[in-house]
Amino acid sequence: MKELGEYLRERRLALYETDREFSVNRVAQRVGVTPSYLSQVERGQTQSPPSEERLVALADHLGLDRDVLLALAGKIARDLRDTIVRRPQLFAQLLRELRDAPDHAVLRLVREVRDGEW
Amino acid sequence: MIELKNDRLVFAFPELHADALLEVEFQRTLRIPDDGRTYPLPPGRGAFPLRHVDDFAREVPADWLRHGGVLLPMYQAEAMWLKFRAPHGYPFAVKVAAGKINAVTGKPWDDGLGRDPQNYVVHPGQPWLDGYVVTKGTIRQFVAMPLGAGYSAEEQITGRAEFGGLQIQAFPLHAGHWNPPPPVRRARLPFQAMPAAAPAAAGRGPSRPDMALGMGGSMKQDIYRDHRPLDHWDTANGSRCFVHLANAMVWRQITGQAPPTVPPTAKEYTQAGLPWFDYYAHHLEAVEGSATLASLHSIHEMAEMTGQPALPENASVTPAHVVPLRAGLKPGEVRQGSF
Repeated sequence: MKELGEYLRERRLALYETDREFSVNRVAQRVGVTPSYLSQVERGQTQSPPSEERLVALADHLGLDRDVLLALAGKIARDLRDTIVRRPQLFAQLLRELRDAPDHAVLRLVREVRDGEW
Repeated sequence: MIELKNDRLVFAFPELHADALLEVEFQRTLRIPDDGRTYPLPPGRGAFPLRHVDDFAREVPADWLRHGGVLLPMYQAEAMWLKFRAPHGYPFAVKVAAGKINAVTGKPWDDGLGRDPQNYVVHPGQPWLDGYVVTKGTIRQFVAMPLGAGYSAEEQITGRAEFGGLQIQAFPLHAGHWNPPPPVRRARLPFQAMPAAAPAAAGRGPSRPDMALGMGGSMKQDIYRDHRPLDHWDTANGSRCFVHLANAMVWRQITGQAPPTVPPTAKEYTQAGLPWFDYYAHHLEAVEGSATLASLHSIHEMAEMTGQPALPENASVTPAHVVPLRAGLKPGEVRQGSF
């Protein structure tokens, strides 16, 4: 959890430089945890990572990508997990095949909005 | 090409320029009263959920599959506005039609860009579009009614209830004319209010789920004139999309998902002291309205003429709390009010 903590702290401090709303106390208040807990998270001193809900609240408040923060905490978003669980063979196969594909190859798989006749 | 991401249409032209990105979001809002007064901007109450029609191929009408595109849920008499965003500031010319009637000019759809009258809006520059452009400086709000009931601009102009929905087409600026601004430090995101949970849909749904946009109350809004040479727009590289408006009462049947909650009335919202908005861009020139659109009947007018009640309520409101927004909205300046 050390990487997660450092990432959060770095971002919070950068925002705090121009806005006092990003003190440990204020951020903790906004996301619904105690300041001492947030401090522990930032220092990598918690046994287990914060819940998905808390991580999402932190990401949104600090302007960070939700999935990146969850990944640093060793989690994946519930909706992603549900997507795989609903069609496990399809998505497991897809993810395994793309596991080592370079970024540009994965990004090429966009789902376009189809335009038809009107 | 167009992608659907997080309830937004994302127009991208990576082959032209990495910065060529436009996001279009359909915002829930308050229906403003249709009482002869001109109202300021009502708030956005979050994006409508947006889905691919192909994902519900068995549940949507065959016409919708032929059109392609996306769908979103609207209740009868619910209003909406279109929100534009260009994350890198790359200019786009955007055409918006309802039932294939251009919302700026009142003319039938064609696939190109036109001037005299200008049949598109430009973003950056035009942050939003709330309705049909009836005069210079005034629009009539987009309000959903069942397609076939006769209220939409399409039905009044063509006499037929064929398309409904919204149609959007965006053209990027030719890459050669694009001067990227210097990079700015990333702004802080405003704290987002959480949307309420949806109630279960009650009763049987209508047989045809298509909604069309009729004309609601009058709102103060300018459509800004484009002063660029028309040939600066890359008209060979447009992308277009049909946005179907599905009756919210059948949204669950179609998608298996709950529709959003019924929005508050303008009266409830205003009595709670929540803000309306005014947008100032005095340095920009506005286009004239469409005489065709101005000659059409609003939903309320038609209801009075036919004696058929169409709107659940139409109580006048005096917005006391109006927040001024300046052109080039700063981070944190949002047209948003939580209820």
